[in-house]
Amino acid sequence: MNARPIPVPNDTTAPFWAAAGDHVLTLARCSNCSALTLPPEPVCGHCGSTDREITFEPVDGAGVIRSWTVVRQSFLPGFDDDVPFVLVDVELDAAEDVRLIGRFLDGIDAPLALGLAVDLAWEDLNDDVALPAFRLRP
Amino acid sequence: MTRSFRARNEVAIVGYAHSKIERRSDRTLGAITVDTTRAAIADAGLSVDQIDGFVGSALFPTAGDHLIIDGVSTVSPNWLARSLGVNPRYAAGFSGMGQIPGSVALAVNAIAGGAADHVVLHRALHNPKGRYHGSSRASFGGEQQWTAPQGYFGPLAMIALPTTEYLERYGATREGLAAIAVEARKNGSRIPWSFWHDRPLAAETYLDAEPMFDPICQYDCDIPVDGVATFVFTSAERARDLPHRPVHVSGYATGAPTRSRMPLHWPLDDIMDGGRETARRLWAAVGVGSDEVDLPQLYDGFSPFIWFWLESLGFCEPGEAHRFIADGGIDSDRPDGLPVLSGGGALGNGRMHGIPQMLESYLQLAGRAGDRQRDANVALACHASPHLGGAVVYTNDPG
Repeated sequence: MNARPIPVPNDTTAPFWAAAGDHVLTLARCSNCSALTLPPEPVCGHCGSTDREITFEPVDGAGVIRSWTVVRQSFLPGFDDDVPFVLVDVELDAAEDVRLIGRFLDGIDAPLALGLAVDLAWEDLNDDVALPAFRLRP
Repeated sequence: MTRSFRARNEVAIVGYAHSKIERRSDRTLGAITVDTTRAAIADAGLSVDQIDGFVGSALFPTAGDHLIIDGVSTVSPNWLARSLGVNPRYAAGFSGMGQIPGSVALAVNAIAGGAADHVVLHRALHNPKGRYHGSSRASFGGEQQWTAPQGYFGPLAMIALPTTEYLERYGATREGLAAIAVEARKNGSRIPWSFWHDRPLAAETYLDAEPMFDPICQYDCDIPVDGVATFVFTSAERARDLPHRPVHVSGYATGAPTRSRMPLHWPLDDIMDGGRETARRLWAAVGVGSDEVDLPQLYDGFSPFIWFWLESLGFCEPGEAHRFIADGGIDSDRPDGLPVLSGGGALGNGRMHGIPQMLESYLQLAGRAGDRQRDANVALACHASPHLGGAVVYTNDPG
């Protein structure tokens, strides 16, 4: 029985995954221009700063669906019992043009459309690791 | 500001060779590449010792766990030069997206700049044993830490998201995708070296297939193969003394990343905004517009790329490409059809990564297309996505 692959944090991203383990979504804030991004980049994509502190700051995970796909065959181990499942491309309300891709937890038969509002949910991979996921806003 | 291309029509393709396209060859990729390249050099009326430049891309386009071994699963320009016994003045690999237009640019610039006189461009593609994109990894660091744990992995997931956006925004359907695959396979079935020779695709077969990543099904994807193509470039001046009609490079353009995204995340707006910029640069470089192109060979590694390129290049208004195709707009058997897949493309040949588009442009403009010969003077060959890939314009009438 294969387990699903887990994320491996690095020095920069460790705070993100530590917060995620506690079901808190964070985005990377640039100390120079204050822009929020994910993933964090070596050079700020907004101000070009190469010399800055990145802090991961909690944000609300609400957003809108920009696209989706139903995964019926996975190329990765550990998904055999999960397929078919839906992945959604979500633009967060908390930061302009920041988009996350996560599991959609309302099932493959839930009605989807571009622009539908979703709320953050979490998938627990194990006791320490959780991934941001989404559900339709009730 | 984009200037016209200073080396416009100064460099030409003067010969080529193409291997059989097989699902899995019983020969090593490097051996096929050396044979194909020797044949291309002879086709150009040259000898191996006259070749002083080697360019290409050695990308092995798999998301899976396969080993990358030069000469076996990929072939770099340096490996090819050494195996032919050449110590070239110029050897370079293109590492961006749009590997074929990028490699053509290296060849043209090397010759126009005097770094080499006769340049070989090759592309060697391999289908490894096992599942092409399959991975058994238990963890992902680097950029894939943001996506793979959720199950967002591999190029089918990548293309599925913008395709859903296109369907939902513009009312396109799987029937619209089927029409692209059917046209590619129709043309590919007529090409003797194609993996799909004599095997056209019925729309019903497409529509009966369950998607793998909705709405993308297996017939939207080019099939992994073993295959090699080589082209020989030289200056327009030297080309006049060689046996075949030269096909001149009028100019090229490549896209560039616009903004930071999750890995393999290509929102439709990124593709189209970037694609329009690629097209703007292309038309400025070559000095023609879409209405002067007789033979636009559009990239189809995934079928929806045909929609994205038709609209990026200005052959259709945004959102209209699927209707244009439904009305027979890309039927290459119709006198008024835009023959965007006349060479069979990747869907009709196998995963040859932009080679089918370049080859059809060359064969038609050189007058070497045999039974498939069309009347054409200006061709365009695309590769990859409009926002990150590129395109080259060719002519047999440099004026």
